Amino acid sequence: MDIVYFFYLVYRRVRIKNSSSRNYKGFMNKMVLMDKVVSGDATLLMAEMLKIFVQEAAVRSQKQAEAEDCDQVDIEHFEKILPQLLLDF
Amino acid sequence: MSDDTDETHQRLKAAVHYTVGRLCQKIGEDHRREFSRQVIAAIAETTFRQCDVFAKDLEAFARHAKRSTVNAEDVKLVARRSTALSIYIQNKSEELTQEQRDLKKKGTGKRKSRDTEEDRRE
Repeated sequence: MDIVYFFYLVYRRVRIKNSSSRNYKGFMNKMVLMDKVVSGDATLLMAEMLKIFVQEAAVRSQKQAEAEDCDQVDIEHFEKILPQLLLDF
Repeated sequence: MSDDTDETHQRLKAAVHYTVGRLCQKIGEDHRREFSRQVIAAIAETTFRQCDVFAKDLEAFARHAKRSTVNAEDVKLVARRSTALSIYIQNKSEELTQEQRDLKKKGTGKRKSRDTEEDRRE
């Protein structure tokens, strides 16, 4: 589970990428992940993929709530879309 | 030692929760449906676990290719399940390489334009 240190730096990329993508050049290009090194490109792509994961989960839950005619997106809507979401990723 | 990893875990989970909350808020505003706190927490937990799965896969792919660096190619493999997703990731990767090439050109181009400006001033 030490692998998860990776996400901290992924998160920083997501936050800064949203504010301005011209900061790209200032970043360190590699990060240490135990004995593995992750390239800058791979980090950005992973950040993008995780962002899509969250967006898919949110949009699918919202569509499920819409189909059931509810005002708020509840945990039951998320539970219903979760299996297909995990299979798609 | 295990305290450090626990603390890192907590910070990471908090970071994920915060980002997920912001993204869900934006989507909720677009569709005028609010997300309950439970749902945001659930999405954050799911993303955290899915990230762990991705990271293990990436490490395995890099090890299989006898590399110590995780590449963009490894990420493309992780995204292979859904066609639309893999096409999107491939396009993003091409965009990134294009940006890098443009930045490199800009680096040399700036020097040239600065020289011509100084010549004009003189």
